[in-house]
Amino acid sequence: MAPLDPPGGTRGLTINVERIGDAAVVTLEGACTMEVSTQIQHCLVGLATEKVPAIIVDMTRLDFIDSTGLGGFVAAHLRGRHHGCTIRIVNPQPSIEEILRLTRLAQLFSIHRDLPEALAAAAKRSD
Amino acid sequence: MQPIYDAAIDGPLTELVVRSTLVAAKEPERTILSAIEKCGFTEDALFAIKLCLEEAMTNAVRHGNRGDDSKRVTVRFAISPRRVVIMVADEGPGFRPEDVPDCTRPENIERPNGRGIMLIRAYMSDVSYNSSGNEVWMMKENEQWRP
Repeated sequence: MAPLDPPGGTRGLTINVERIGDAAVVTLEGACTMEVSTQIQHCLVGLATEKVPAIIVDMTRLDFIDSTGLGGFVAAHLRGRHHGCTIRIVNPQPSIEEILRLTRLAQLFSIHRDLPEALAAAAKRSD
Repeated sequence: MQPIYDAAIDGPLTELVVRSTLVAAKEPERTILSAIEKCGFTEDALFAIKLCLEEAMTNAVRHGNRGDDSKRVTVRFAISPRRVVIMVADEGPGFRPEDVPDCTRPENIERPNGRGIMLIRAYMSDVSYNSSGNEVWMMKENEQWRP
């Protein structure tokens, strides 16, 4: 597990969005703590509202996420499913993958080892 | 006093009272995690305690005090190398934890909310609420501790 940031997690959260083909690749970096976690919801629901066919969230550099942040994934899923939008997660750290497993969200979102695998899966689905 | 706290084991409680905002709520988190880091808890335990503190404080600010920043959140804690006991109380009317839907049931997986309480129960060694439900007590044992 990556070491925690200074107690209380002051490193903050960085969200970067890039379009690759039909997919929106969202890269999360830092810590999704309570004072910033709604930013994830705004980003993901915004993309789902734009009817992006695939949202791929790269968690490689994300070392913490709370339940509000996870709720943003579900809110985006609910917003996007009517037009077939899928949300995929890339390379969560073991501690975050454990949260996804405990909350059963690993059943709702596909988890991929790396970005190329997620992009290939998204492209295959849109064929 | 909730049975989860035992003064003979845990020692005296320290109390912090903060404004009911998510930014102010970080202060007790920093204080508690700094103290725990010096007590020999594992990285996994630190992650668990941080997660549960975040969830409890979010519940207090958003749901208990309903975003009213004129209200306060009270945190009491006792930290020792053996275990950590943390209480988070808000000034809201409280709730019945048993009324919160189980987010792990198939019919509830798509609910956007309700995972915080489940995560606290999953990551803490013991959890209890006062009778009105506006005060949560959480305890995490240090698996590395030996008498």
